[in-house]
Amino acid sequence: MSAEDEVSLLVIVVDVNPIWWGQQANREPQFTLSKCLDAVMVMGNSHLVMTRTNKLAIIASHCQESHFLYPCKLWKFGDGHGDENASTSGDGKYELLSVANDFIAEEIKNLMSRTEVKGNQTDTLLAGSLAKALCCILSIKMLTGQEMKSRILVVKAAEDCALQYMNFMNVIFAAQKQSILIDACVLDSDSGLLQQACDITGGLYLKIPQKIALAQYLLWVFLPDSDQRSQLVLPPPVHVDYRAACFCHRNLIEIGYVCSVCLSIFCNFSPICTTCETAFKIPLPQVVKSKKKKLKPST
Amino acid sequence: MDEEPERAKRWEGGYERTWEILKEDESGSLKATVEEILFQAKRKRVFESHGQVRLGMMRHLYVVIDTSRTMEDQDLKPNRLTSTLKLVEYFVEEYFDQNPISQVGIITTKNKRAEKLTDLAGNPKKHIDALKKAKDSTCGGEPSLYNSLSLAMQTLKHMPGHSSREVLIIFSSLTTCDPANIYELVKTLKALKIRVSVIGLSAEVRVCTVLTRETGGSYHVILDESHFRELLMFHVKPPPATSSSECSLIRMVFLFSLPPGFPQHTIASISDQDAKPSFSQAHLDSTSGGPGLSMGGYFCPQCQAKYTELPVECKVCGLTLVSAPHLARSFHHLFPLEAFQESPLLLHHTERFCEACQGELKDKSVFTCPSCNSVFCVECDLFIHDTLHCCPSCIHSRSAP
Repeated sequence: MSAEDEVSLLVIVVDVNPIWWGQQANREPQFTLSKCLDAVMVMGNSHLVMTRTNKLAIIASHCQESHFLYPCKLWKFGDGHGDENASTSGDGKYELLSVANDFIAEEIKNLMSRTEVKGNQTDTLLAGSLAKALCCILSIKMLTGQEMKSRILVVKAAEDCALQYMNFMNVIFAAQKQSILIDACVLDSDSGLLQQACDITGGLYLKIPQKIALAQYLLWVFLPDSDQRSQLVLPPPVHVDYRAACFCHRNLIEIGYVCSVCLSIFCNFSPICTTCETAFKIPLPQVVKSKKKKLKPST
Repeated sequence: MDEEPERAKRWEGGYERTWEILKEDESGSLKATVEEILFQAKRKRVFESHGQVRLGMMRHLYVVIDTSRTMEDQDLKPNRLTSTLKLVEYFVEEYFDQNPISQVGIITTKNKRAEKLTDLAGNPKKHIDALKKAKDSTCGGEPSLYNSLSLAMQTLKHMPGHSSREVLIIFSSLTTCDPANIYELVKTLKALKIRVSVIGLSAEVRVCTVLTRETGGSYHVILDESHFRELLMFHVKPPPATSSSECSLIRMVFLFSLPPGFPQHTIASISDQDAKPSFSQAHLDSTSGGPGLSMGGYFCPQCQAKYTELPVECKVCGLTLVSAPHLARSFHHLFPLEAFQESPLLLHHTERFCEACQGELKDKSVFTCPSCNSVFCVECDLFIHDTLHCCPSCIHSRSAP
């Protein structure tokens, strides 16, 4: 089986949280959302150019929806370009890449201008975007029918949302079962959820020291696929903190008590589970029967 | 002993004309019917949600495999024993995937005796190795239900009350050779709250019917290999807990592993043992080759005993060692996803694309989530219910799990 027959699919999930990017424009004006998307486009183009059979998909993860920036719903993932407005670029660039780049730029502009951020929804819906990415990978696998290696690269900007923990874990286990790697490139603050995701699925986690060099980090670390990574010198794996948080105080604990019914975690023993309201059997110390002393017959 | 009404047997029912299911269309081809049958086969899994029923999440299950003379029969290819062992391997993997904090043990029975292939353990690798080796074993003699059940009972009766005690018997012979009255044993099993289920490979045997009915398990006889697989998968999901099972708080430890050579000064609670290679407790009594010496691993915080894999029960101090993702794997059983509503494609002419995979909707029916009303195609629906356990659109509409 020649290497050309293997299809490799890369799905890039970009965090476009408008609040974080807005604040970022004030903090560091030289690295804005458009620069970030330039770097992502370079990465996408490079992946498409590596092998003829490589496929690409890009999802923008917003506060209210996840939108597929590439490919368009009407296309079949780069196999047919039914768009009449696809103009040939003047500089002799490979048409697939120039059309893709124009399309991505157009879509992100539409996405950012049409969505308004309401007051209480400020967190990026990362778990939802990952779920959609998994379904999309599955449907392409059904369509092509060949052996396909796929991975997801997450470019994360804003902080974690603790409410998404369970959905996130479901997505991670689903990805592990389908042997899909999840890589993470974190721009600002460390994300415990993504560290766990990379550890469980076997991907790479990297927190970038300098945001301006995003394109270089993406190409160096995340472009090679899983077979080639064993032969390269890449950033070492991070230590992942798998301690659980107790349900009562949200502290990270090492030794805890787990309810056998609902699996909620507590740091102290309590007679009633607060989640499922089950009364527990309290282990009492066993009463030892006192032995009857034999009376010595007095002589 | 029991006067419960017996179900009507299939041969007592009316005459069925099973050929009428096939219908030809005008040109005489059966294509539409075949597609319909394939479509129904995809949707055959019944998503019964238990609702607000307590489930037994921590399970101690013994699988009893009958290795008597009848297992050499070739009605399952290549013979019953090989096919059964392969399916039990797959069952063990799926079982630990869905119930990460549970344990499984394997018992085989032949020549009127029963012996333990593997002890109750939480690590799938040991069981799968043992099953692979068992493929070369010979089948002979008669099985003994009494001996295998009493062997399982000896271990299960010491298990803590909050866990669900189960035995799954794969029974192919039509006879059993018991040293004592098996109905007495059934009474004892019922008193100890051990649930016994049987999967029959030949035909229905009365003693199995009584056994499963009294203990609250299920009894099925397979039709063919794919039905066998389905019946095995049925036992992977956690069963509803009996009303008499105790609920208790289990003391557990949540651990994280250190990659080899990790600097110790960053974590205050870990001692210097981590930088040096050390023996793992689990390898001390294993007979498979290879030294047990390894660099990284998990250390019990109470007694500093080292283990290479989780989840495990510490041999020295009895503490249960897990890591938080193990518990997270079971959460989807507690919050099950509702089944989606099926409706024909013609009613949905406004939506042409599946919400999840962005592919065109071309099957004849689409599935709608009752909470968020998004439309999905057949493959996405299967994937969402089997593997993902959460609706991709519901995650978007409300950020709470």
